Amino acid sequence: MFYHISLEHEILLHPRYFGPQLLDIVKQKLYTEVEGTCTGKYGFVIAVTAIDSIGAGLIQPGQGFVVYPVKYKAIVFRPFKGEVLDAIVTQVNKVGMFAQIGPLSCFISHHSIPADMEFCPNVNPPCYKSKQEDNVIQEEDVIRLKIVGTRVDATGIFAIGTLMDDYLGLVTQ
Amino acid sequence: MADKTMPIFVPSEKPVKVVKWKVKQGVFVSQGQILFLYNDSSGQGTDLKKYKAGRAGTISSIKVKEGDIAEPGQAIADLEECRHPTVMKEMCAECGADLRTDEVTNRDVAVVPMVHSVPELKVSEELAQKLGREDADRLLKDRKLVLLVDLDQTLVHTTNDNIPPNLKGVLHFFLRGPGYPGRWCHTRLRPRTQEFLENASKIYELHVCTFGARQYAHAVADLLDPEKKYFSHRILSRDECFDARTKAANLKALFPCGDNMVCIIDDREDVWRHATNLIHVRPYSFFQSTGDINAPPPPVDEKPKEKLPTGKNGAQVNQMPTLDAEPEQKDASKNKENKEEGSNGKIVSKDVKKDNADAKDSEEADQESDERIAQDPAEPQWLETSDGQIEVEDPDDYLIYLDDILKRIHKHFYEHYDKMGKNQIPDLKTIIPEVKSEVLAGTSLVFSGLVPTHQRLETSRAYQVARSLGAEVTQDYTDKTTHLVAVRAGTAKVNASRRISEGKANKLQVVTPDWLWTCAERWERVDERLYPLQRGGQSSSRRPPAHCSSPPPAPAAARRRTPSGRFMDTINPLLSFSSDDIADMDREVEDIFNESDESSSDEEKPGDDDLDDEENPPEDRLISASAENSMQDSIQERLQDSQEAEATNDSEMDDEPRPRKRPRTSSPPSEEEPPDDDDSSWNLMGAALEKELLAQD
Repeated sequence: MFYHISLEHEILLHPRYFGPQLLDIVKQKLYTEVEGTCTGKYGFVIAVTAIDSIGAGLIQPGQGFVVYPVKYKAIVFRPFKGEVLDAIVTQVNKVGMFAQIGPLSCFISHHSIPADMEFCPNVNPPCYKSKQEDNVIQEEDVIRLKIVGTRVDATGIFAIGTLMDDYLGLVTQ
Repeated sequence: MADKTMPIFVPSEKPVKVVKWKVKQGVFVSQGQILFLYNDSSGQGTDLKKYKAGRAGTISSIKVKEGDIAEPGQAIADLEECRHPTVMKEMCAECGADLRTDEVTNRDVAVVPMVHSVPELKVSEELAQKLGREDADRLLKDRKLVLLVDLDQTLVHTTNDNIPPNLKGVLHFFLRGPGYPGRWCHTRLRPRTQEFLENASKIYELHVCTFGARQYAHAVADLLDPEKKYFSHRILSRDECFDARTKAANLKALFPCGDNMVCIIDDREDVWRHATNLIHVRPYSFFQSTGDINAPPPPVDEKPKEKLPTGKNGAQVNQMPTLDAEPEQKDASKNKENKEEGSNGKIVSKDVKKDNADAKDSEEADQESDERIAQDPAEPQWLETSDGQIEVEDPDDYLIYLDDILKRIHKHFYEHYDKMGKNQIPDLKTIIPEVKSEVLAGTSLVFSGLVPTHQRLETSRAYQVARSLGAEVTQDYTDKTTHLVAVRAGTAKVNASRRISEGKANKLQVVTPDWLWTCAERWERVDERLYPLQRGGQSSSRRPPAHCSSPPPAPAAARRRTPSGRFMDTINPLLSFSSDDIADMDREVEDIFNESDESSSDEEKPGDDDLDDEENPPEDRLISASAENSMQDSIQERLQDSQEAEATNDSEMDDEPRPRKRPRTSSPPSEEEPPDDDDSSWNLMGAALEKELLAQD
């Protein structure tokens, strides 16, 4: 699920940047340091939309570095159990398949793929195919899945998905 | 495994009527899924209520039919809890349960990492067996086998050294890692690799099995197979290996139903614990200065030997530019040269000219290397074309033979399979030795000069090689003897051979050990006439080449540079000197350069030193270090060495050029003799420089 929330971040700046461009550099540094990261609590920071305030910089004694507390708004993506999402299949193997939901990796076990779909290792690329051959899931395909579990670490999130529900599976364009 | 079936009881105090089942028996349900609809049997509440599964699992039996009424306390169905047969990052991939919390009960279920590149994904033994069986059935149906392919020195050769950017047929890629700054890799595919993969993939399912890091393995696999049609995702790298020294441990996980159908090609036997289903390929070596960059950690003190050239032996230093600093230096000087010339064209030719002008000493060295080229035509030759590309002639043709070997094994396997009937699978671990033993079947060999007198025949490598090829080996002549494998002419057995073959119809074949080694390499009986024993010719091939000798014979007492003999000092001799000593050496080097300010030494002036950190002392300093360290005996030794070298050269002059005369440069370096090296006008330069140094002393 996507959220638009306020977050805080501290920017540590080298004294060489002290000059007329200082605030621009702080903003630039915020973008590079924050966008694309993942925290267990808020999920993936997709994009910074606004910088609300850049607080007063505090010079670190003995170093000369300065720390700016920055408040900003960002779009974050936090997956939840039970959520239905569209994903792109990245790898298909005999145990299941891996899919990517933007920055989030997801695994779907063979058991969570409808039983009528079988793994075909001989075709290139390997795929899951239904008996009537009308339903083929292979690499690069878009599928709709439901998240049944998430592994949330301090630095990343991994999800387990399933295709065993109504309206899940291959998304035909 | 404890029975985890638990009944589902009636969800209220009053009897309920099961209106509709939403699931069937034997179906897997996830947590929160609706199992059935019910209402109060008394008929008061008419609205249906849903019953959701409290936890994930399989409905093993349904005890109450639709429309029946169940009393409180009665079990409506049995729910078998999820056994978590597939686990990804400690999370059940079926029910999504987090297995970190209740680890005690579930940790041991899913243990087999079945997918090559994702070690976090583990499946239970049971499921692995099932998947393994499916795989085996599919392979048998397609009449295929499994082939585990090693990368480094089997199909490709990669170096991290700086090499000229205009080498033809060398692919470059940059590896960036989170932990390290990244490095350039230069990879040369073995000649005919594409054809080989194409052919092999028809009868084998190819897997990559390498000790390279995951990133590297995938990068190289991508070079080999950009469409992913050969390897797909079947790439096993160091990151997924259970054991840093052996790949054998992973077999069980990848092939839970046994490795009956697994064939392996690798240039190292030891990493597979000398498995019998291994085809030991001749190591492919293209960049002479580099061995296997992804070799497993050496078991003994092979390492110092690999890191350092044997410093006291002058010839070896300049023939083996393996030290860390030198390639950089080379490159630096090369770059300079490029600037001078404005193009990277005439590197090689110019150097040769320089050398000729240099001193008469280099002529000798020149000759030496010319001889080497003549003697070993298998060594890649670096030529230059007009368009500024360096064309490399690479006569390595091993993959043709390997292709043939694989086809024979495949044929043999399925012949057996067809004979054995259903449900029986022959084992490649017995088939492969069988195929190999057909190579020299029916021959009977006698060795002369091949096995040292103090060694028992049965323990010698040559004996084992010959036996594995199916030949009989006897200590002395018998009626059946067909071949005499002799290192040099003039031994008693060689003389006797003439007498014996006089009376016989079948002439006794007298061959050099190269014949045996080549047979072992190609798995075919090569024509004996190509390997005649020359009169007076001392064959240098007593030691088996790399593909016949694994583990490599330990280098005879590696000479140490430092008096202390500490391991650390052998890595970097500078550590054992005081800073004064080092300053002294630097001064000495400066002096030498100032005195003999020739074009060749120009480039190697310590201006480049800034680039090198203290860990990688440049070549010239190393040489002076060793000279300083043990000047006296090193001079004597060098003199002796050069005399010896001359002596052997003389004797080798008589030998005609022959294919694969001596084992190729490879890692681990199993030889004392300097590896053949013909690219190196750079080495000649080093030689000249060193001779100057000696002259100073």
